[in-house]
Amino acid sequence: MFRTVSIIGFAVVFVGIIIHCFARPCGKERRWGAVDILLKGVHLFTLLFLEQKLNPAGVLRKLVYLLTLLCFAVLLITGFYHPLVSDEHLSGFLLMVHATFSPVFAVCLAVLGVMWAGNCRFDKNYWPWLQRILRRQAAGEVSIEKYELLRKLCFWVILLLAFPVILSIVLSMFRLFGTYMQGFLLEVHRYSTLTLALAAIIHTYLTIRSQMEE
Amino acid sequence: MRNGLLLTAILFFVVLASPTAGESETALLGDESDGSRAVAVHLLELFEEEGEKIFPDDDPLLPFSVRQTCGGTCHNIDIISKGWHFNSVDPNIVGGRAGEPWIFVDAATCTQIPLSYRLWPGTYRPEEIGLTTWQFTLLFGRHTPGGGAGEIESENPDEVMRGFVSGKLEVNCLACHNASEGQDQSEYAMQVARQNFRWAAAGACEFGAIKGAAIAQPETYDPLMSDDIAVTYREDAFDPKNQVLFDIVRDVPNERCYFCHSTKVIGGGISEKWATDEDVHLKAGLKCVDCHRNGLGHNITRGYEGEEQVLDPSRAALTCQGCHIEGESPAGPVEGRLGAPVAKHPGIPTVHFDRLSCTACHSGPWPGRKTYSVKTSRAHALGAKNVNKSDEALPHIITPVFAEERGYSSAYLGGLLMKQSEGKIGPHNLIWPAFWGSMEEDNVKPVAIDIVRPIAGKIISTEDLPASGDWPSVSEEQIAEVLTLLSSEGTVEGMPVYISGGKLYSLDDNDPNQLSQTEHSAAEAYLWPIAHNVRPAAQSLGIRRCEDCHSTSEGFFFGRVAIDTPIESEVKCVKEMHEFQDVPAFYTKAFAMSFVFRPMLKVVAIISCAILGAVFLLYGLKALDLVMKILAGKD
Repeated sequence: MFRTVSIIGFAVVFVGIIIHCFARPCGKERRWGAVDILLKGVHLFTLLFLEQKLNPAGVLRKLVYLLTLLCFAVLLITGFYHPLVSDEHLSGFLLMVHATFSPVFAVCLAVLGVMWAGNCRFDKNYWPWLQRILRRQAAGEVSIEKYELLRKLCFWVILLLAFPVILSIVLSMFRLFGTYMQGFLLEVHRYSTLTLALAAIIHTYLTIRSQMEE
Repeated sequence: MRNGLLLTAILFFVVLASPTAGESETALLGDESDGSRAVAVHLLELFEEEGEKIFPDDDPLLPFSVRQTCGGTCHNIDIISKGWHFNSVDPNIVGGRAGEPWIFVDAATCTQIPLSYRLWPGTYRPEEIGLTTWQFTLLFGRHTPGGGAGEIESENPDEVMRGFVSGKLEVNCLACHNASEGQDQSEYAMQVARQNFRWAAAGACEFGAIKGAAIAQPETYDPLMSDDIAVTYREDAFDPKNQVLFDIVRDVPNERCYFCHSTKVIGGGISEKWATDEDVHLKAGLKCVDCHRNGLGHNITRGYEGEEQVLDPSRAALTCQGCHIEGESPAGPVEGRLGAPVAKHPGIPTVHFDRLSCTACHSGPWPGRKTYSVKTSRAHALGAKNVNKSDEALPHIITPVFAEERGYSSAYLGGLLMKQSEGKIGPHNLIWPAFWGSMEEDNVKPVAIDIVRPIAGKIISTEDLPASGDWPSVSEEQIAEVLTLLSSEGTVEGMPVYISGGKLYSLDDNDPNQLSQTEHSAAEAYLWPIAHNVRPAAQSLGIRRCEDCHSTSEGFFFGRVAIDTPIESEVKCVKEMHEFQDVPAFYTKAFAMSFVFRPMLKVVAIISCAILGAVFLLYGLKALDLVMKILAGKD
């Protein structure tokens, strides 16, 4: 069941991203030659670098973000390899790697939460329809970046899902819950992780897109 | 239509014409319950083996036959004798999970070899070491309730004659169902050792006594013509109607089971019986037969996980899970039977239930850094008279060895079919086979003990045999000498080898006076799962912390399993427990060491969640503030 849901979930997200890439390519001209793809790859790679304009807080923010991405990638591979490939629970060396990176990921999420939350607040200008209902005028004209709303939404979803993802495993390590609840907590971990992973993939894609389009 | 009728008619007549039809499989007077739980009074007339009634003033007075006395009109012994305790010699019987073998021991030839008629992988059939069914009965009938090999007529002409003297070791209902305090199974064992098979049941019961021994009689001995072997019955045993009152119970008392199923663990700082505990189920008031049940067929439920797949599905309810784990059947909830506490297993990750049997945490002695020895009734003749009480007495059985279960046989019809194991790890008893064999094309067969004994006797002096019953101390040179003799005398087909301590020894191809040793499947340890004694939940593995098992200093993965061998140079060798569990050593060690960081992981994760919670709270309050302002009409 989880395997099927996971495959469908990942397929939908990746197909959606590919369609979006083709439907709304970066840049003004739609060019898909080998050189163009290589250039886009190099551009993508340069996004990993620290810009010179960043202040120390910005550097820290980016470093934490990159570390979070690394942990996410490792946890994604180790966590979904067994369920997707062999329809088994996580075990063996992959489990050890998974358990090693997971606390780092948890800390990174907490730091990112503190550092990004201010920038990811929803502004009332995102909901002009609500303004109209309340017969109110926006306080000022705030320009909204492309994909900004969706990115912020993904950010808060990731932060929200971090609770069940982390707590479901940590609580199962205490002598609180019996076999049934242990099974339930494991399912909570699996499905909340899947949702978090999909949200993180979308968030990463949108971040890259907005960076490349700047 | 006509063909169908014709076929039915033919089948009907074939069934009617069959000499055993409607006879051997018919339930008799006492075989079908009317529902009453009251115990039927067994005031019985006694019958001797030919079916003649016994009177107290008969001359000669013959021993009663249990088969005739119990089986005449009341119980169908033919059905009962197909039960688990009697059917091992039947090749068509499902053998199920590997169990405790009979272990043939001969210290003089440095032999301890697991035997079984059930073809459990790793055991050998008794005839492979030259034991006939009659000899097998003489050796091991002491701890059986009769039947099986004891009722098979030997094919050896000399033993046929001995068989006339000794009689058959019939199915002995009293061995289990006689609740009288006078039922003496050690006397039964003594009668078997004296070859008094025919007299064993009468001698063991509370009102019979035997004098004389068949072993001392010539093959021409006729029990009807001589009283050298004679039975006497207690004077008040017979009532005026010449009937005898048997204290027969349906539910077998634990003490009856204990005669053949006792164990004594040696080591772990406990040496006295008073300092050990019984199985927690017995202390809770249950009997062995509350779980190990059977119907008329006496095919006793062994209670292992998966037995229901090999035999009938109803056996699932008589496993650990059947009583202790929440579940439902069409008849209703199944847990809590007989007052069983329902297991909660708080904090135990569910993967443990996929990889471990219930017994892994709950059964056997608490594992130490090194395995213990265990003596069992059947292997060491516990409870029999004049038994060697030394802790070093052979065979050397090692316990508890946490090993992956090797699967169980599902049928023997036309060959051995193996049902794949579920790979669960559980506690086992272990024995390292030690025997002389011959190897042809990598296939090792034991050499008959009668061939080995005189040859080994030339090299290994009986004066070297310790009084404790332990191995004699044997050098590699002595092993080489015996192998050379076995090879030179031409009594062994193929290359003579010696199996011991997990290794196969043979003469070196380059230097025939030297030994070479290799690993070989025939030298692998034979393991059988143990389920008792069950410890209470408060003494189960993992009750204190995960490190009860997941630690490099604990026995579950890193316990040292002793390698048992008479060869001096190999005596101190050990294996680590994980080698029996099909898990990589490095992974096991790394995983165990990772538990050092587990508390830190918990702390880090909880702090991270607290920070995230604070962020949510802060911005949630800010959002609430905004909503409140809007609703209040302020901008």
